[in-house]
Amino acid sequence: MSESSFESLEAVIQDASFPDTDLALRRGRHIGRDDGSYDFLVDAASHLEPFYRRFGCELVQRSDGYFYLLPSGDRLGRRHLSAAEMLVGQTLALCYLDPATLEKSGTIEREVLLQRLVGLIGQESLVRTLNPRRKRLLERVSEETVRKQVGDAVRRLADLGFVELLDDTRLRLHPALLRFADPVRDQQDPSGALARLVTEGEIVLGEPNEEEDAAADDEESAE
Amino acid sequence: MSATDPNRLIAGLARDGITLDLKTVDLCFLAALYLRADRAALASFEEGQLVDMFEQVLEVVEPGADSPRKRATHSIQRLREQRMMARVDGAGLVKAGEYTLTRLAAAVVEYFLADEALTRESLTLLTGTLRAQLAQILSDAKGAADDGEAWRLRVIAPLRVTVADLIQGIERRQRGLDAQQEAVQSEIAELLQADWFGAVDRCQALLDTTTSTLKELNDVLLHDAHHFVALLQDIQTTASVSGNAEAEEVAQRVIEQVDRIAAWGEGRQRSWSGYYQYVHRYLRDVVRLDPDRALSQRLRDQIGGWPGAPFFTAVAASAPIRLLRPLEARVDRPAVLRPREDRELEPSLVAPSDLFADIEHHVQAAVAGGATHLAGITAHVLAELPPEIHYPAIGRVAEVVALTLPLRTDRERPWRPLRDELEIEDWVLDQREGCS
Repeated sequence: MSESSFESLEAVIQDASFPDTDLALRRGRHIGRDDGSYDFLVDAASHLEPFYRRFGCELVQRSDGYFYLLPSGDRLGRRHLSAAEMLVGQTLALCYLDPATLEKSGTIEREVLLQRLVGLIGQESLVRTLNPRRKRLLERVSEETVRKQVGDAVRRLADLGFVELLDDTRLRLHPALLRFADPVRDQQDPSGALARLVTEGEIVLGEPNEEEDAAADDEESAE
Repeated sequence: MSATDPNRLIAGLARDGITLDLKTVDLCFLAALYLRADRAALASFEEGQLVDMFEQVLEVVEPGADSPRKRATHSIQRLREQRMMARVDGAGLVKAGEYTLTRLAAAVVEYFLADEALTRESLTLLTGTLRAQLAQILSDAKGAADDGEAWRLRVIAPLRVTVADLIQGIERRQRGLDAQQEAVQSEIAELLQADWFGAVDRCQALLDTTTSTLKELNDVLLHDAHHFVALLQDIQTTASVSGNAEAEEVAQRVIEQVDRIAAWGEGRQRSWSGYYQYVHRYLRDVVRLDPDRALSQRLRDQIGGWPGAPFFTAVAASAPIRLLRPLEARVDRPAVLRPREDRELEPSLVAPSDLFADIEHHVQAAVAGGATHLAGITAHVLAELPPEIHYPAIGRVAEVVALTLPLRTDRERPWRPLRDELEIEDWVLDQREGCS
């Protein structure tokens, strides 16, 4: 606590950066070095960690250079990413690790994202995963749904601070994407890592969101 | 064909079916000829020399290739057809030809040979020459006074040709350095792709070298650009004082070019700085933490198996704060009412006013007083009335006069001024007929 330039929690809350930072964190945003409030969080972390713990959530600081809020109780709202967000997030994390992305200062084209996604899990598997409730898959409609879901997922990941939308075609990848690689970062014990992440509330195992399925059902019935 | 008309140029190129198709051995052959001509100060090559040179090049490019002389003949033919090589002897069939490289061939080879990237040495040389040139031009401009010929020869022409060429030289080298930076970025990616953890130090060295080069260049550019602009502004001021608009305009154009050069340095340093930080973080957070590069493969496996064993990352999702109104179980809606009040105003006494009735009275008085002209009567009446009704009152006076007395008018009625602002056609009244 002695390293902080803030003398007390009150001083942190009085700071002009606090309201926007607090709201962003509560909405699930990952705040990285490129965000204006990163330095504020580094400075105020020792005061804010106990503060957020009282709301039943953890202010997590990762060595990759980003902060996020992880709710463990029901005092603060939480959600789990959708299947599309998970697939897109993991693929973008892989792109982030690729030296080829380095050449373009961490930016990639949206088209490349879709190509890599298809290349990694296969077109049929991708269509099935993102259209789980559909019994009859019409090629044109299901592919359109995949493109739309991937587009929506990118937009939501941008809201959460995983990527930055540069224009209609390009994305800048942020280090927070490495959260998607957490289950495999521990080389020694991958299955143990997954269990640990579940225990810590970082991830849940199971089926995609019901909300997303309902949306898919609506689209199907509209055809 | 005008080089500035793109439509005609493109149409001409398409009509003539111009193509360039050079194989690696052709390019190497051209480069060898170019260097040989340069070092031995040769203006042209005899056919035998060409064939010998081609054989030497082929030995390097494709060791042990068959029929080198035959391939030399084909290569020379290809270069002739593509206007890379010209025959200069004019002897035709009489003897073996003598050939030289064309301007096109020289440009192609120079592109690959010349180191056009901006270096501290080349930049300092160019900026030093430019500064001396501008100082000389300023001195000539001060001495030119009103001599139009001196302005054109010693100021405008050097600004347009010499100074513009020097600036273009800097810009060309800036583009060269841009290309070099792109190459460094590709090289860093390739080094990591090939050697991952082993490439970290070399990547770091490449980054540091480029960063220090850019910083040095930017420092020189910022310092010298300021000096150039000051000199050019002095030239511009001198031209303005002498009334030489053309010199002023040319100086302004050069100032804009200098500004562009300075902006390049700043912009490149900023964007390189972003790249530098990104690569540093990458080397530290990704490469050093995963020296075996196993994470990518494990992540790839994870993605491949994800549809079969999905998991979902948790994020905070606090709803925005809702500001609710105080609860009101039953609301009695009040009837729409309007405050009661007596809207009838009490009558009040005001002075009667009938200005147009007064006009008639004033006209009668003037006529009774012996007035014989409309202008005189009107002037008399207007003196009694407020200015804002003077204009409509004039018509009213004329009407009353016309009804009161017969008029005698000439064919050309004279215009008479009234109170400095108005003018009317004058009528003469016939007082002998008396009032009606």
